[in-house]
Amino acid sequence: MAANLLEVRNLGTTFRFGQAEVQALHEVSFEARTGRVLGIVGESGSGKSLTARAIMRMLPETASVSNGEVLFESGNLLDLPEARMRSIRGSKIAMVFQDPQAALNPVKTVGWQIEEALVVHGMNKSRARARAIELLGQVGIPEPDKRIDDFPHQFSGGMRQRVVIAIAIANSAKLIIADEPTTALDVTIQAQVLRLLVDLKSRLDIGVILITHDMGVVAEICDDIVVMYGGRVVERGAVAGVFAAPQHPYTRNLLRSMPRIEGVRTARLPTIPGSTPDLSRLPSGCAFHPRCQFAEDICLREVPVLLPMAGSPEREAACHVARQNAGLPPDPDPTPSSEPLAGVRTSGSAPAILEIEDLSVTFPGGGGWLRREKPIVAVDGVSLSLRPGETLGLVGESGCGKTSLSRTIVGLNRPSSGYIRVAGEDVTDFGAEAAAHVRRTVQYVFQDPYASLNPRLSIRQILSEALEQRGLPGRQREAAARALMDMVGLDAAYLDRYPKAFSGGQRQRIGIARALAVEPRVLICDEPVSALDVSIQAQVINILADLRDRLGLGILFIAHDLSVVRHLSDRVAVMYLGRIVEIGPASDVYEHPLHPYTAVLLSSTPKPVPDPSAMQRKLVLGGDMPSPRNPPSGCRFRTRCPIGPLADPSRRICIEKDPLLVGPGEHKSACHFPDEAAGLAVQSKA
Amino acid sequence: MTATNPTETHAGGRRRLMGEGLGRYIAALGQPKGLIGSGLLVLLVLAAVFAPILFPGGVDQQSRDSFLLPSLLHPFGTDELGRDIFVRCVYALQVSISLVIVAVPIAAVLGTLMGLSGAISGLLGEAFQRVFDIILGFPSLVLGICIVIVIGPGWLALATTIVVFSLPQFGRLARGALLSEQGREYVLAARVLGVSRPKIMIRHILPNALDPIFVQVSLSMIGGIFIEAALSIVGLGIQPPTPSLGTLLNVGIRYVYAQPMYTAGPIIMLLLLALAFNLIADALNAQVLKTRGE
Amino acid sequence: MFGFLARRLPSVVFMLLATSVIAFLLPRLAGGDPAQTIAGADATAEQVAAIRVELGLDQPVYAQYGRWLGDLLVGDLGTSLITSRPVGQLIMARLGSTLELAIAATVLMVVLGIGLGILAGSIRKGAGRAGLDGAVSVLLATPPHVTGLILILVLGITFNLLPISGEVSVLRDPLVGISLLIMPALALALPQAAMIARLIQARMYQVRQEEFVDLAIAKGVPPRRIVLSHILRNSMGTAVVATGIRVGELLAGAVVIEAIFARNGLGLMAVDAVSSRDYQVVQIVVLGAVVIAVLVHLLSEILLAALDPRIRLQ
Repeated sequence: MAANLLEVRNLGTTFRFGQAEVQALHEVSFEARTGRVLGIVGESGSGKSLTARAIMRMLPETASVSNGEVLFESGNLLDLPEARMRSIRGSKIAMVFQDPQAALNPVKTVGWQIEEALVVHGMNKSRARARAIELLGQVGIPEPDKRIDDFPHQFSGGMRQRVVIAIAIANSAKLIIADEPTTALDVTIQAQVLRLLVDLKSRLDIGVILITHDMGVVAEICDDIVVMYGGRVVERGAVAGVFAAPQHPYTRNLLRSMPRIEGVRTARLPTIPGSTPDLSRLPSGCAFHPRCQFAEDICLREVPVLLPMAGSPEREAACHVARQNAGLPPDPDPTPSSEPLAGVRTSGSAPAILEIEDLSVTFPGGGGWLRREKPIVAVDGVSLSLRPGETLGLVGESGCGKTSLSRTIVGLNRPSSGYIRVAGEDVTDFGAEAAAHVRRTVQYVFQDPYASLNPRLSIRQILSEALEQRGLPGRQREAAARALMDMVGLDAAYLDRYPKAFSGGQRQRIGIARALAVEPRVLICDEPVSALDVSIQAQVINILADLRDRLGLGILFIAHDLSVVRHLSDRVAVMYLGRIVEIGPASDVYEHPLHPYTAVLLSSTPKPVPDPSAMQRKLVLGGDMPSPRNPPSGCRFRTRCPIGPLADPSRRICIEKDPLLVGPGEHKSACHFPDEAAGLAVQSKA
Repeated sequence: MTATNPTETHAGGRRRLMGEGLGRYIAALGQPKGLIGSGLLVLLVLAAVFAPILFPGGVDQQSRDSFLLPSLLHPFGTDELGRDIFVRCVYALQVSISLVIVAVPIAAVLGTLMGLSGAISGLLGEAFQRVFDIILGFPSLVLGICIVIVIGPGWLALATTIVVFSLPQFGRLARGALLSEQGREYVLAARVLGVSRPKIMIRHILPNALDPIFVQVSLSMIGGIFIEAALSIVGLGIQPPTPSLGTLLNVGIRYVYAQPMYTAGPIIMLLLLALAFNLIADALNAQVLKTRGE
Repeated sequence: MFGFLARRLPSVVFMLLATSVIAFLLPRLAGGDPAQTIAGADATAEQVAAIRVELGLDQPVYAQYGRWLGDLLVGDLGTSLITSRPVGQLIMARLGSTLELAIAATVLMVVLGIGLGILAGSIRKGAGRAGLDGAVSVLLATPPHVTGLILILVLGITFNLLPISGEVSVLRDPLVGISLLIMPALALALPQAAMIARLIQARMYQVRQEEFVDLAIAKGVPPRRIVLSHILRNSMGTAVVATGIRVGELLAGAVVIEAIFARNGLGLMAVDAVSSRDYQVVQIVVLGAVVIAVLVHLLSEILLAALDPRIRLQ
């Protein structure tokens, strides 16, 4: 085992709000080692980012370290004078931030920004420039000597994150702290950046601390893991051990509640009740006890200490129950219900409730009187159908047109051509009658639970606005609102509260209740769980599945997360640059993809199964999605395709001919070489 | 957590929805800043309204001595004709206050409607924006001169200037709120439910748009008071013998050596008015930010 | 850069045209018959009609506008109907005085505004912050004429430091000229400077929250350099635009300030012209003020585009 590079001991941090003080971090301890990646995992409010900032001594002005030490190169960083600390920042410990759009100064060239990191640590200007070009090459930016004088806005998100990483490694730092470095990126770009981080770690022999909320990312690239909850470390150890046999109920439940992209699907995801606590209002004793199925009296009274587990000194957990029983007891409900997920509710012969035919959506390009920009074709000739009781998953990366498509169905955008039929009626023109028909039949659940409820209206007002639309007389609304609350698992006593009193998961349920108020037959869910913490996602997913089965709803489920889509969907459609590139039954598409883009998406998605070689086998795409303003000729995926003209220049057909969406039976793909695409998927799984 | 009454009926909820906005603004005036500001304003308004009762001698009552120094009898001293400057200042408040109390609400209502007109017709909204652009291109005093030329100097020209000058301030705020609210997911959700446009406007857009507008009303009052002063100082505003803060300054500056209070008095009144409206605007703004932050 | 100009130009042209229409219509909206004015009260109907033809008043309004605009574009600003002198001449006679005032005030506005703004944006706690905030708020709320009168009362009367009225060209007698210029220029500049300062301060606070400032700290960049290269550099655009917007308002303030300080500039001329119903003069002054304001605003936007690669490289 390598020597400790950085040791955090008993770190505590407090926030000051006027006179009040809130302890945000409690006794945080862990080590980072050279040549290894340490993952710090937690949900919102767990204190993971605060920990990173405390190490860098970059806490917000209202926060300060109350106790503990951060040992680095035989000194305590917390004792250093600011000037000494400054000479360590960026030269010995570097940091990568979450949002590459915001992390670069927009008015300076990327070269200038890399050089600055070198110049402030003593390098002269001309050497710094040469080194900056070298660094850009090292992080995989093509033609670094040309791109060095470009500004950040001329780079894509993934490229910008590479520049930030170049800055981090500029002075050969020994430790890089990456705070959610891929959260703002699409999954194919995430795979690029993660692979770069892993490569650099082994090539430069440095230590990496990766802060993330995604257990899948931890499983694929981390060696060690620290799990944080409520400002404390609740479990830590080697990744393989922790994933195989978690010793804290939170870790175990978190892993269990994640939808899986592979393996057996279960009817219901195991959930963690309640929501993540606010650091300023932590429950007494063990912060997790209100959500824990094992909680005993002692858990309410005493804060459990992080202690090595019997038999494995490298593993530590902070759980009274696990300690008393020399290991976490087996789960009272370990096997999910055996009830099959698909089945009764889908009748393949039922007529489609929603049909879309050859639909295109175009947005004007903007510009002034003198200069017109080309229009953006957001959706280009898409056909879909949805039957009652069926879930159709629609996946694709940001900018692929999935939201434009779904908003067009409910009349928020206007189609430029094609047809929309709802329950057999053509509603494409969205005239008064058609609009009323759509609104009775199709409803929408929005992505952001914080933006989709008017903060000035009580839940009762929000629901009764919807019930009013159904034409329910005033005196019946009360009972109906209560029934809706019950339907989404919320207490009707909350009806008079305002949205701010609810957590993200609860708000999303209110959003679902509002949509259900008009008794629709189709629900369009636009990324309904992507803004939620992982432990909350399962609650919402289960409610959607229940409602679908109980009410026979057809659900168009839009998401970028393939695991979530897999869990809920009967059929899946994959979108790329405004087109559907593959569609079919979920199991077929996930197990035998017939389009290279699907294969790459599947391979890029992190899976919460530790696998040291996963990163090497991944299909990693080069480049970014082209602009929908100027889509490539022929097959739209050809500019990034691993089996297209990039790999084999003789494949002119991909450039010249637009592939049709065809295939055996219900499973169709738009690729000239579907068999090879299938092979691609097999190869990446092996 | 909101303290809510669980037994409240639905109808009660709707009443509160209408009343909630105004209630918050009134609550803002209960805060220390708002209390001082509104107290000061009430005092000034009462003084102006009851000036004929307080000073029954009238605005032109002369004493034997001109240019008396300030004393208990004449707090601001006397002017060149031996008239009490303080009394004249109090009477002058009538003009300033009547101007802004009439003109600013008109501008606020018109401007807000013009700003929100984009919800009915995109073209109409755009057209009003261009109108606002033109008005904003005119510096306030240049605007005043143009209006004086057309209408002729006096109260009406001043009121018109204040209305025209303030219109774009309200119009742009309202349009900004409209554009940002229209994209909010809760507005989209209401549209998907089929809620009618007027209902969406009243329930979802207007309450959020009104916050900055109420703050701006207070600020525009200050602007209006100063516009009167500026135009009257140069003789294009209120015409003598009616006393206004501006006309007093117009004469006062000529006698600034003999009677500095002739200039200082109206300025004190101007600043008191500005202070009152500023404190009220601050209090409203703080209240608005508090609601937003929730 | 071309794209940026191409997008801005139509609205600038629209603004200038709209202003010219308003300026053209001003004398007509004011009522009164210019031909009658020239001819005098006891002129016969034939004489008035002759003058009307001579002035082109018998033609349709749009034709008159076209002729008027055409004359303007070749430098003919028209003739005062009251004094019968060319408007251009009248303006040239007063231009120097206003120019001195405008230049002094603009310089003060920029220096004080940016200086105060950076100071207020850099000091983030303690009594200094509270004092600066208070001072900026007071200056912001006090318009030029009130500021000017307070300056007169304090600096002129109470402390007797500066002369309160009159003017002498700075070129002729720099010392006296400047001593007469200080108060009016300050009065014009202070409210606008406070406005600029407030905007810069707010922008600096905002930039300080940006993640790229965090990244710079994480790079080990010293605080001074962070303020200069990252925070100030990203706040300059705001400073430029804020200044550009305020110039028009500053110029217009001259109307009152010149009256208060008894300076014989264009502002006073405009006021006198309104009183004497000399609309041909007023319309040119109004047009000039707006044109300058619009052009300065455009200039500031061009400067902003030059400062910001996101706009420049579009």
